[in-house]
Amino acid sequence: MTLLLTLMAQASEAGGHAAAAGMQAVAGAAAAGAHGAAADGASAGAQAVVITGHAGQLTSYIAVSCVLFALGIATILTRRNVLYVLMGVELILNAANLNFVAFARFGGYGMDGQMVALFVVILAAAEAAIALAIVLRIFHDFGSIDITRTDSLRD
Amino acid sequence: MLDFMFFVFAGLAVVGGLLVAFHRNIVHSAFALVAALFGVAGLYWTLGADFLGATQVLLYVGGVTVLLLFAVMLTTRDSTRVSIGRNILVAPIVGLLFLYVWQACQGVVQIVSGTGTVVTEDVAPTTGTIGTMFLQRDQYLLPFEAISVLLLIVLVGAVTLARRGQEAP
Repeated sequence: MTLLLTLMAQASEAGGHAAAAGMQAVAGAAAAGAHGAAADGASAGAQAVVITGHAGQLTSYIAVSCVLFALGIATILTRRNVLYVLMGVELILNAANLNFVAFARFGGYGMDGQMVALFVVILAAAEAAIALAIVLRIFHDFGSIDITRTDSLRD
Repeated sequence: MLDFMFFVFAGLAVVGGLLVAFHRNIVHSAFALVAALFGVAGLYWTLGADFLGATQVLLYVGGVTVLLLFAVMLTTRDSTRVSIGRNILVAPIVGLLFLYVWQACQGVVQIVSGTGTVVTEDVAPTTGTIGTMFLQRDQYLLPFEAISVLLLIVLVGAVTLARRGQEAP
């Protein structure tokens, strides 16, 4: 949560030099905390893989995420089948997850982005299960899953 | 090497998303969604999130899309071909939303790159760290318990919803 809040707060005053300096301090503290946790969590003898990256790569990930988001919106707006709407929602959730992981990775926020993304994945699975039960009910009651024809809550 | 893998997985994700959005056959779209989600899982791996990528493959590629395919085959009657909407208003809406999200992300990207940090810390394997963070009281223990209760509710709710009206009259 602190990751999200600080990112939003900093984004509202984007570009300022003071903001960048404050961000550096926050990022440094978060990275130090995450590093300590990682040292605690990783057992001795586990071979750690070091992946280097720079903030220039971040733009590539954000581009993929934005394209996925736009495709999900397009799917939801153009299709009339409920199942397509569900697929569009899954695409949008994945785009948001990619943003979480990429920003946390290149901003030096440690594992928080991955934790949020894990919760989103679990929630998406729950949402899919409930939504498909509802879709089966809609098909049973209306004889079709066209979203323009499901216009009543009771018969 | 990582750059190459990035382009492979990003291409997989984007092409899969395009097929989901524009293919006319819903079964093909569901399989394209599998490709797109697998591409996103690969992007997680290039970001050093190995456990998250594996979870994505297990839950999304193995679970959600199988559920979707079940629903497609249970509810699609005569043909699997569905019409694509002809609403011309959709294109500018999607374009403007894309530009807005892109600009919003660029603001954060500028801040992040303004720190000038080069990420070199150890990132994988992350499984032990994630397990520790889930069970520490000052970190993610409460959301962990809450989502456990939520999954139980979903389990009961899905069965109740799907079976209502099918018991003996």
